This record gives sequence, structure tokens and C-alpha cells, in this order.
Amino acid sequence: MKRRDLIRAGVLTGAVAALRPPLARAQIAAPPSELTPAQSGVDASKDLAAPGWKPLFHDEHQNETLIVLSELIIPATDTPGAKEALVNRYIDLVLAADTHENQRAFLNSLGYLDGESIRRYKAAFRYLSREDQDDLLHALAYPIGGSEWTGAAPPADVGHTHFEKLKQRIGIAYYNSQIGTRELGWDGNFTHGVYQGCEHPEGNHK
Amino acid sequence: MSRIYMPQDPLQQTYDAVVVGSGATGGWAAKQLAEAGLKVALLEAGRAVSPTEFTEHTPAYQLKYRDHSPEIVRTRPIQKQCYACMEYNYEWFVNDLDNPYSTPPDKPFTWQRLRVLGGRSLVWGRQSYRLSDSDFKAASLDGYGDDWPISYADLAPFYDIVEKYVGITGAAEGNEMLPDGQFLPPMKMSCGEVLLRERVKAKFARTVTIGRAAVLTQSHNGRAACHYCGPCERGCRTFSYFSSPFTTVADAQNSGNCTLITNAVVSHVNMDNASNKATGVTHVDRLTRQVKEVRAKSVILCAQAMESTRILLNSSTREYPTGLANSSGALGHYLMDHVVGGGASGQLREMKVRPDANQPQRPNGIYIPRFRNTPSSKKHSQFIRGYGYQGEGGPEFNFAAEGYGASFKGAVKEGAYGIGLGAFGESLARWDNYIEIDSNLKDAWGIPALRIVMTHGDNEAALMDDAAAQAAEMLEAAGAKDIKMQVRVEMPGMAIHELGTARMGNDPKKSVLNAFNQTHDVKNLFVMDGASFVSSACQNPTLTMMAVTVRACSHVIDRFRKSEI
Repeated sequence: MKRRDLIRAGVLTGAVAALRPPLARAQIAAPPSELTPAQSGVDASKDLAAPGWKPLFHDEHQNETLIVLSELIIPATDTPGAKEALVNRYIDLVLAADTHENQRAFLNSLGYLDGESIRRYKAAFRYLSREDQDDLLHALAYPIGGSEWTGAAPPADVGHTHFEKLKQRIGIAYYNSQIGTRELGWDGNFTHGVYQGCEHPEGNHK
Repeated sequence: MSRIYMPQDPLQQTYDAVVVGSGATGGWAAKQLAEAGLKVALLEAGRAVSPTEFTEHTPAYQLKYRDHSPEIVRTRPIQKQCYACMEYNYEWFVNDLDNPYSTPPDKPFTWQRLRVLGGRSLVWGRQSYRLSDSDFKAASLDGYGDDWPISYADLAPFYDIVEKYVGITGAAEGNEMLPDGQFLPPMKMSCGEVLLRERVKAKFARTVTIGRAAVLTQSHNGRAACHYCGPCERGCRTFSYFSSPFTTVADAQNSGNCTLITNAVVSHVNMDNASNKATGVTHVDRLTRQVKEVRAKSVILCAQAMESTRILLNSSTREYPTGLANSSGALGHYLMDHVVGGGASGQLREMKVRPDANQPQRPNGIYIPRFRNTPSSKKHSQFIRGYGYQGEGGPEFNFAAEGYGASFKGAVKEGAYGIGLGAFGESLARWDNYIEIDSNLKDAWGIPALRIVMTHGDNEAALMDDAAAQAAEMLEAAGAKDIKMQVRVEMPGMAIHELGTARMGNDPKKSVLNAFNQTHDVKNLFVMDGASFVSSACQNPTLTMMAVTVRACSHVIDRFRKSEI
């Protein structure tokens, strides 16, 4: 996620009351059908927390696996983690509307995790002990380098690639949630004064 | 010139001028002509826009998909390639299904556009740079292509007018390739950017300056200074960046001489063949699909480079069988769009500043003006012309941190101090890059659509190769680590700086417009937008487009005063 995504996330943005009445004269408001929900003022931030929520895309096992995995990747610390941020529900919502290609890719990555789990531990990922879950994730979380003995190139790093894809979805879901913006420290204001920039003397920047 | 205001059916009168398009140039044309007393009809293909639909202060978590909507792509698969087309504002962008165009399969072109009052001025990048005299005379200096029929001195007074009205923040640098202008106080640079400026100056004698942007750093012409919230492309409730609906178009309407007609999708210019004069335009009502006509003594196309030319191509008559005002055959040719895709980024580890979600967000970056093939540098062996960079340096949250768990969560907040430069290179004017009418394709209003044929060539590729290496070298000089180069030639259209297809020139056999944006063939027909550019230079073009429009309007006003139109 780059800075632009963060700006989109609203983390870097802020609100100021209208400082003066609009300059536009004789501008007629558009019909609602030609406005985005955001432009119409729709606030969807509570939708995922609705009681009786059921996944649109995932089956129960996939959903439970995603809850376990996302909380391992972004755990509750002194701040809430992925589970409380309903990362699983958000990813389910996006995937339900996504392309078949993206849907398939995500399920492949989630399936890979279970496949490796069963191969190594004879049980699906969500049923593993915390220790085994950590061992498996550590095997996937870091890229494999080439041989330091012969200089041979590294093998195709299928596991790490799947891990990164899952982690990226979880990261976008978490850091764009209200909990995620608080985690980054946003105070909820849209303005923070004038950009000040560098005030150091020449040659002394820190 | 008619001075009697007639409050009647807007379609039942004859205007002095009909202006097609309400964006950066159309707004200026409407303002200049209406304030001079001409009776103007301003036509916009889209709807009106209201500040109530601005979303710059809406956090992403209030959006259904938190601004990662997979749905936009269904109606806007092309528009979504634009960084500014997002879940917040996608309705401002055209529906690609209603607004098709074709390309050869091996020559993709991304055409990113808005149909709403103000057009792309609502979401533009706001970077505003003058062209230099070397740009206007580029052909004389290196032998490629054609000079403009105007010099920097011809345009300078009009740059002044536009800058004083719009409000451009920037710093004077005295750089030979980037003339200074009428600037509001500059925005500040970050520590990393100042470091880059100092070291690049010392080692390469090149200029790193703060971006020149159409964003107010102090209250100006009734608009408030920027409040540094960040995402201008979602609108601005303090109108601190320049967009036409709340400035030029509002002025035109306030003059009492301008009638705004929205939802008017112009199909063609109407002609009186006997007198060889344009009599107005025909448009399709976007909502009712009714075909209507607006009559005027002069027709001024400001519809966007390719849209203006499309209207002319769709206006062919027996006298002009290959498109109106196309006796030269040049109409549609010499399409340009700045080449992008070359650059570099890295990290400044000596900087100790951490990312902070509660910092003012500067809607501007840094700029490095062209330093290749300038009057004071030697000719480069691999390419002609040059490129400029836009860039930025500052602390960022590190969402790409490695690993997982509590350590990952901490590393995201710890952040990194990134710095990057991305080049915009000159796109050479080539006959082989062109648009034409696709006889098998119509838009949702039955208007024949365009076939766009454009590739970037060897010179553009060589510019991006050099831009990547030079960016890496400059970042290295600033002490950056983990430097990564981007060495690509992105598809044409990606810079969203489409230019040419109705070029200016002194020779009617080789150009469509004269030096005042008047068609050589039809004296009361004008094209005042990026279509008129002879060469692209490498600077962001909107400021020049606006200055060219104001200059051309002065000419139109003169002609009216002398009763020559």
C-alpha cells in the first residue's frame, strides 16, 4: 500500500467546516443516480457490523480460516487487531463483487495454506495449535534466497507468493478500516494547519 | 457585437459565440468573451456540479469498499486506469460503455476523461509550468518537426493574466527551460527534498524546485487558501485549487452574457456552404436524446484535444469531405501525450522523521526542469528534446514491511523515509500518431466515435531510459539507499496530456489553425485547447492551454469590435 492508498484511506485527510459559502451560482445538484454513494453522503462504515451477518462469497470454513489468519498477521496488541476490525467481512464483501480471476486467485492462496497445513500437520490451518500455525507462517513469510554454496538461483517461491497475496488483502482491509486509521494514529481531524516543511539550516537535515 | 440581452429560449437566439466544453480552456473562453460583452452560449456535455458532492473529507472507511471498489471496473474499465478515478468520484468520469473508442490491437491508448461541468479541471494534477522559448522554437534548434507560429514573448503576457487569476504557488528559479511567472508564495519542501535540492545543485548544477501548482497558499480572488487536507481530486469545499465551474464559468455567468447549456453532447459544427461560415453546432441532449441546434456567429471548440477534432471530423461537408477545416489533411494527425514510466525511488535512512497521520498534507510535490538538450548543455547522443521530473520525499507508513504479527504492525508505524522522481518526457509530433472516425463505432448518442492510433517511438523510449538512470544518480547523490529504477514506456494516454490533432501553423497547407487558433479554412471557427499544440514540450500543458485560449480570445474580441465576424 502506497501513500496514495493511504490518502484514499482518509488517514491523511481531514475535515474543515466550509470556510465560506459556495462560490458557484446557479449550480443545480445532480440527480442521485449520477452521484456516487460517497457523493450522496452515504456512510457505509457500520454495514459490516450488522447483526446476522453472513458471508456472501466464502463458505464457513474459508471464513473461519480467514479470521484466524488475519488475526495472526495483524494481531490485537495494545490496539485492536484484524478480527475486531472485521477484516474477514470486508474481504468477503470485496471478493463477492470481484472478477472470477481475482476470486479464484484468492481461494487458491487460501487453499494453498490449508494444503501445506494438511501436508505438514495433517490438519487444516485453523485447527492447528498456535505453535504449529506460527511455524507454518514463518516458513512462508520470508522469501527464499539462492544458494550461498553454489550460487544456484532460488527455487520458485510459491508459498511466499501466496502468503504475500493474502497479507496484502488483509493489510488493505485493516488499515482502511476505522480501527486501522486509529492504529496509525489519526485523530479524526481533516486539517492540521499549514504544511511546514524543512526548517533546518542548510546541510543539517534530519 | 450584440449588446441586447434577450431572456428567451436559449436555442431560439443567435449568439455571438458558442463555446463547446466547460473545462480549463472552455471556462476561460466563456469568461473572456462574455466579460467583453459578447453573447455566449457555453455548452457542456455533462451535468452541472455542486460543492455538495465533494468528498475530500470523507474517510475511506465510510465507503462500502473503502475506496477499493471492484465494481467501478464494470462501467469504467479504462477510466479506472486514472489515479484520480476512485470509489469517491467515479461518476464524474465517463462511462466507458457509453463512450467507446477503438485502437489497433497492438497499440493500446488510455483515454481518461470527465463529462461534467468543469471537465478534467475538477480532478487535474494542478501542476502549472510555462513553456520556454526553446520549446516554441524546438524545430529550429534541433531540426525535428515544426516551430510554433508564436514565440514565448507572444504568450508571456497571457501567461501573466492566467496566473494572476488562477493563483499559482511556486518559486522563481531563473531556469532557462522553465520561465518564472506570477507566483503566490511557494509551498515548503520536506527535509529530504531540500537535501536533494542542495546535493543535486552541488553535484550536477541542476534545479530541484517546489512544484508550481494551481493551489492557493493565500486567499486570492475570493477563494480561501489551501487547508492541506490532501485529496484535491475529490473536490475542494474552499475552492482552493483551480477548477473552472467555481471560477471562470461562474464569472462568465455573472457577466449576464453567458448562457450555460448542460447535457449538450455536440455532434458537429453546422456550416453555411455559400458563405463558408460556421452557423453554430448541433447537439444531442444527453438525457432525452433530442437533437438540438445552437446558432452562433462564431464557433469555439474547447472540448479537449481529441474531442474537438472528433467534432470537426464528424462535420465533413461536400466542400470539406475529410473533415471540416481540413484542407491541409493534417486534421487528426500529430497526436501527442507525454511519455511516462521512467524514474527511480529510494529511501533516505539518515532522516529520523517518522510518519504521522496528523500532519498537513501538501497537495504538491517537487519538480526538476529539463536539463537535456538545453541551450547551455551539449546535444545528447541518444535522443533529442528532454524530460522533467515530478517527485516527492517524506516519511511514509511502511505497509510493505516484512513478516507478520506484532512486529509487522510495529514496522508499519515505524515507517520509512521515501523519495522518488518520475519523468514526463516530450512526445514528438509524428504524422503516424493520429485519430480518425471509426465508421463502425458510435457512442450512446449515435455520434461516430474515434479510432486512436498512437505509439511512443524510439526517442521517447530513450528519454525514459535516461530519465531512470539520471533519477537514480541524483537520488544516490542525496544519500538514498535501496534505490529502484522504473524503466518503462507506459502506454500513450497515461500522462493524460493529450495534445495536437489540429495544430497551429503559418502554412495553411501543413496546419489546421493559424497563430490565433482560427481555422485557416473557416474564419469564424476556432479550436482553443490542447489540439492546437505544435509540439508537446515536457511541461504539464494546462497552463499553456489556458494562456493560448486567452490570447486567442483577445483576437476574437478584436475581430468582433472591427465587425469582421
